[in-house]
Amino acid sequence: MRAGAALFGLVVVAGLVGLVQVAIGAGFIDEYTVPRPMEIAAALPRLVREEHVASRFLVSAAETFAAGALATVVGTALGAALFRWPLLRRSFEPWAAVLAAAPLVLAYPLFLVLFGRSSVTVVVIAFVSALPPVVLQTVSGFSSVRPVLLAVGRSFGLGRRSEFRHVLLPAALPSVFTGLRLALMFGLINVIGVEFLINLGGLGALINDLSERYDLPGTWAAIGFVVLVSVTFFVLLDGGERWLRQRG
Amino acid sequence: MAAATGIGRSTWGLASGPGTAGPRLAAALLLGGGWQALAMSGLLFQDVMPPLQVLAGGLGAVVLDGGFWANAAVTGAELFLALLIGGVAGAAVGLLLGVSAFMSAAFERWITWLGPTPKIILFPVLILLCGVGPGSKVAMGAVSCFFPMVLSTAAAVRGVDPVLLRVARSFRCGPWQTVLKIYLPSTVAPLLNGVRLGFGLALIGVLLAETKLSNQGIGFAVMQAYARFDMPRMYGLLILVVGFAAAVNIALGHGTRLAAGVAAGRDR
Amino acid sequence: MSMFRLLLGTIVAATLALSARAETLKLAVGQRGNWDTSVAELGQRAGIFRKHGLDLEILYTAGGGETQQAVLSRSVDVGIAAGTLGVLGAAAKGAPVRIIGAETTGAADLYWYVPASSPIRTVADLAGRTVAFSTVGSSTDTVGRMAQAQHGVAFRMVATGSPPVTFTQAMSGQIDVGWAAAPFGVEALREGKIRTVFRGGDIKAAEDQTIRVLLTHAAILAQKKAALRSFMQAYRETVDAMYADDALLKSYAAFAGIPEEVARQTRDQFFPKAAVDTGRIQGLDAIMADGVRFKFMAAPLTAEQLNQVVALNQLK
Repeated sequence: MRAGAALFGLVVVAGLVGLVQVAIGAGFIDEYTVPRPMEIAAALPRLVREEHVASRFLVSAAETFAAGALATVVGTALGAALFRWPLLRRSFEPWAAVLAAAPLVLAYPLFLVLFGRSSVTVVVIAFVSALPPVVLQTVSGFSSVRPVLLAVGRSFGLGRRSEFRHVLLPAALPSVFTGLRLALMFGLINVIGVEFLINLGGLGALINDLSERYDLPGTWAAIGFVVLVSVTFFVLLDGGERWLRQRG
Repeated sequence: MAAATGIGRSTWGLASGPGTAGPRLAAALLLGGGWQALAMSGLLFQDVMPPLQVLAGGLGAVVLDGGFWANAAVTGAELFLALLIGGVAGAAVGLLLGVSAFMSAAFERWITWLGPTPKIILFPVLILLCGVGPGSKVAMGAVSCFFPMVLSTAAAVRGVDPVLLRVARSFRCGPWQTVLKIYLPSTVAPLLNGVRLGFGLALIGVLLAETKLSNQGIGFAVMQAYARFDMPRMYGLLILVVGFAAAVNIALGHGTRLAAGVAAGRDR
Repeated sequence: MSMFRLLLGTIVAATLALSARAETLKLAVGQRGNWDTSVAELGQRAGIFRKHGLDLEILYTAGGGETQQAVLSRSVDVGIAAGTLGVLGAAAKGAPVRIIGAETTGAADLYWYVPASSPIRTVADLAGRTVAFSTVGSSTDTVGRMAQAQHGVAFRMVATGSPPVTFTQAMSGQIDVGWAAAPFGVEALREGKIRTVFRGGDIKAAEDQTIRVLLTHAAILAQKKAALRSFMQAYRETVDAMYADDALLKSYAAFAGIPEEVARQTRDQFFPKAAVDTGRIQGLDAIMADGVRFKFMAAPLTAEQLNQVVALNQLK
């Protein structure tokens, strides 16, 4: 059934793309604002050949991985600490929530000064943006563990650390993985966004260049490569979650 | 002990209380002191890392400027509409994906994959559809918060206790009744959490759109300040935006706690 | 029939005529606050456009690319300060752009600077240094390369983006030489925080290139020809007024939020009147050569294509 559903989804998406192609051809959508999907597809190999897409892809992916990994490690640690000490949680969980909503990317000049015109600035901004969701999700994940599970654990005489490893962590895992997905989403958006803003490095800078050159098919094709980065990471995350689940 | 660690009761944050003043003050002093030391050290370009008193001056200048409040009203209205439209649309789609395993297997991955793409590429299309005025900014914000809203809602709906659903079926509840009496109360807390996360993206979407093509709004004001290199003013604007985000979060947090309390009360 | 009735009737008729003629034009303007881009705003404030029967709705963009896109999607009627290179590139792809006037010719408003503490004094000192420009294919890119050729110096050009971001990086030592366009940084120049190394106005090859233009959509040109003709007349009248005396200068200083002396220095030192003459479209061959080199277009436009794109004569 899953395969059938996936196919259905693919067909619907392809159908929508086809509809756009027809609409542009018929003049319902302005062809100088939205390029024809066929032209976007044709631009993909051109980008690979002429615009060093492969290396740009790797740069953006590496920056996203660095930001995401840092946010995961630091975020889960912070989240666990906040959960462990309720006073800290009451004090700083609201701060994390505010940070999650703050448009940090607008302060990019500050980060430029602090970290220089390099990938470090991109990674730092993406890391700081991805951190709050991970913290918030980790805390809420641990605190939503059903009390009956903990009662069972205690009836087995589990100490605090064992309780964490054998009850809390597995039960909170889905929530933690949701946090990771959010971290990835915020991280990648910010990596591409900052690359675009300061015209540095990977796919974001390429999108900037192509749109300045009014290469509409190229710009949308470059976005396609960004989606590819997104797909890569999410497939890896899904695989990771399944593997951890199977391990119990 | 269970009560103290909050296990079994998801407070969803913002439960401030006794004793929080201490750690917060300590953290604020640490951060503020660190900033001031770095700013005064002369190690970094002081215009971009100004001492706290310069930041305070910038903040004051912005607040006393009548133009700021007009811009804030415009951006605030755009943001509210964006959250309303994107939130409702996202929740509706998320509900569908959460309830139907088939739809979820068909479409949820597309939402997940497209989520992290820069929505600003759609801005020219949105201008075509919604004009050059506030409409395109609302649309940009709505599109930005749609995606996380869908995913949060779907996850929340899937997290509804199956026991409750069986009870609903045994009472032969129709689909609308099930949504209103089972799904909505059980999911309103994680839903509001989704709104919180979507709020940040909607805010960035609206502000970015205002830097692209506009003549009003906070995003426009920030761009103008930066173009003139009026950094105190730019920081003043950013501080106010963060302050606004904090206020909204507090409100949402209270709402979430209320809703969670109601849901918990109903479960008893 | 009294004189009074006649007068009243005339006034009513005139008011009706004037308000009937007041047509609204939507503008997308890049780089709000620059001297050359403020013509529309200043003319609007001085009532010049209203005199020609026009009301302007002015929106500001972050750059030429967005200005052009707004025009192409017909979301606005006229784009001001779009890069000529970008416009010709779009035309080469078949986009229905029409140039209705020159916005800036020459590069007199550009200058390259160093922080006061820098050891760099003259262009000769630039050998091997990092020098800023905004983006590939921009006028700063072109002028930077022209400067190397003119002075026989080789330096490394780094794309740093807009003047504020560039200023941040130059003052933080992340790049040796920054670029700016007046009035940005003029106050810092006056205060001695930064020092000019060379100016766009010194680069001979740049003098005759029209780097920014006013543009519209072919369909808008056809539909609103009379209004666009009035617009260009009012635009030229405003430019004349901006240089005739200081009245509009004061208005500009207030609008841009800069001190009046900075505004005056911007106009007198960085914007000779010839630079904003809307009738001068020049240097297109050199611009198109750059267009091919930077992949804005596959080949230069033919004379026929150029004739279609450059539509100044249609509004005479």
